[in-house]
Amino acid sequence: MSVDQGVFRPASVDEAVSVLARLPDARLISGGATLVAMINARLIEPAALVSLAGVDELHGITENPDGGWRIGAMTRHRDVAAERRFTGTLALVQQAASLIANATVRNMGTIGGAIAHADPGLDYPPALVAADAQIEIASGKGRRRLPASEFFVDWYATALQSAELVTAVHLRAASDGVGLYHKLARVSGDYATVSVALTMSSGVAGIATRAAMGACGPTPILLEEANALLSGSPGESELNRAGELLAAAADPVDDVRGSAEYRRLLIPRMLARAFTEARAAIGART
Amino acid sequence: MRIEGSFDIALPRAAVYGHLTDPGLIAACIPGCDQIERISPTDYRARVTIGMGGIKASFNLVVEVTSEQPPERVLSQTRGEEGSRASMLAADNEVALEEIDAANTRVSYVSDVSVTGRLGKFALGVMKKKVESLGREFAERLRERIQIQPAASSAPEAVPQ
Amino acid sequence: MSRDLPVNLEINGAAVALEVPLTETLLATLRERLQLTGAKRGCNQGVCGACTVTLDGVAVRACLSLTLNCEGQKVATIEGVAADPLIEALQQAFVDGGALQCGFCTPGQLIAARALLSQNSDPSVEEVQQGLSGNLCRCTGYRKIIDAVLSAARSMRK
Ligand SMILES: Cc1cc2nc3c(=O)[nH]c(=O)nc-3n(C[C@H](O)[C@H](O)[C@H](O)COP(=O)(O)OP(=O)(O)OC[C@H]3O[C@@H](n4cnc5c(N)ncnc54)[C@H](O)[C@@H]3O)c2cc1C
Ligand code: FES
Ligand code: FES
Repeated sequence: MSVDQGVFRPASVDEAVSVLARLPDARLISGGATLVAMINARLIEPAALVSLAGVDELHGITENPDGGWRIGAMTRHRDVAAERRFTGTLALVQQAASLIANATVRNMGTIGGAIAHADPGLDYPPALVAADAQIEIASGKGRRRLPASEFFVDWYATALQSAELVTAVHLRAASDGVGLYHKLARVSGDYATVSVALTMSSGVAGIATRAAMGACGPTPILLEEANALLSGSPGESELNRAGELLAAAADPVDDVRGSAEYRRLLIPRMLARAFTEARAAIGART
Repeated sequence: MRIEGSFDIALPRAAVYGHLTDPGLIAACIPGCDQIERISPTDYRARVTIGMGGIKASFNLVVEVTSEQPPERVLSQTRGEEGSRASMLAADNEVALEEIDAANTRVSYVSDVSVTGRLGKFALGVMKKKVESLGREFAERLRERIQIQPAASSAPEAVPQ
Repeated sequence: MSRDLPVNLEINGAAVALEVPLTETLLATLRERLQLTGAKRGCNQGVCGACTVTLDGVAVRACLSLTLNCEGQKVATIEGVAADPLIEALQQAFVDGGALQCGFCTPGQLIAARALLSQNSDPSVEEVQQGLSGNLCRCTGYRKIIDAVLSAARSMRK
């Protein structure tokens, strides 16, 4: 076999990075669920693939001493969907994973592949933005971390530079409270038409809410101003105003899943439904 | 899909019209356009490369100017294909110039674009967003170039990339 | 660019050595090189489930798997699991319950149902719907498929 063809199987992140640096036309393959569909549609024709399957540190979910979590990039959707240790505000990450596609695709797809692809209809991006996750990236210069809100930059575009890869997603320790992910899709297993990810916890100053909308623009939409309205002791007018702000910030596509207008209409409604459910759940707990 | 937009330029309408019919300048302003050549008084050949989500597409386009109504309007048709690949692109374009005042002009463009073949399968909704953003980038580059250097250069300029 | 490259797999229990291009899918290898046509090519995009097989025991889309990327793995197609008791029970229940018409989706349905029942021997209707939601059927309207899976689960629990 010529040295720059075929499937490379690095055993470490450093090795993966150096193969990518040496072969700029090689593509990473994790689950392959998106990459191979693109090959089949003749959208791409890679000359070489770099499989991350043999890199041990990319597999699995580990708890940090501070109660936070590290999800390796090669962790399958199936394993995140089955993760019962993501409680409280972190439950939304588990919920988002469980709503991806169907059981067979969840056996294949990985969190690293999903967020690197950054399709606007994916379930992880809004969940990770609402959860204030950090994305760990490896390059020839070492590792860096970016907040999820800075990782997603445009339609199908992330902060990843060439010869970089996603190595993990870091979640801060769960707070007592509620994490919710709601997805509206045409049928079970389809990409989201609109989704909402929300965390809510309660303290002396009332509730603290973070909400992100998915499938409504190039990247998940989270607005500090909307979060402020939804925190403290918000009433109906604050909730409505937050919905209006998020809808105004949206830049949805017109496609088979729904018109841009329809998606904009859904934003305040889905926000209100998730907010009301989270508040009821918090109320029931306190 | 229908792409439309408009932008203002701080130049008189006739001057803007002169620039818009300068193929070298236009090529330099179209994102991803690395060559343009005039093949007849009304036809131009151009190559434009666009990329998104790891997908790269390079189109060989022929632009035919079907109607020139100086200093108001240019109509054109774009036809092209993606090298040996199975995608075709067709577009009907209209650029209209409106006088805001003696020194300012509003440029409006409408383009009805269809893409068929392998790229036609790719997320069409997002493709439209991408083309719209290319339109905005074009407007910005054009404005920058002709406002900074208001004398119309009739010789084709060096093209970046 | 599309030169053939070597790969070793175990398919339905037998070691297989092949040379295939980088972008060849496992589905193409199974159907076109090995004449294992049980897994069907519906959409080739991961949507329909007709190509479902197992890789190292896990149900996957053969159309989204590249053969070269399956180096050293164990592939099982519907042909290879015919003697599995769970598959036998499912097949019987599909036949008894009229859970197929044209049969195009059936191999995929069976592999997906087997994956479900091997993890959950007593699924609810909703769990069966969830477990098979990635397997489209243009003929049956699904109800009979769901009933057949529930009935196979019952017969296995006896
Ligand atoms: C039928 C179907 C339905 C689906 N429905 C949904 C859905 O409802 N919701 C949802 O969220 N998703 C859905 N998906 C997408 C699914 O989540 C994919 O698995 C995911 O987008 C890609 O993950 P992967 O591991 O398969 O990535 P791959 O296909 O292996 O790679 C995807 C891209 O990311 C690059 N890449 C891979 N790993 C890394 C890395 N570690 N660092 C940097 N770049 C990397 C690859 O080069 C490629 O460009 C669906 C997919 C299919 C086929
Ligand atoms: S052919 Fe593989 S899912 Fe349709
Ligand atoms: S029986 Fe015909 S597709 Fe299911």
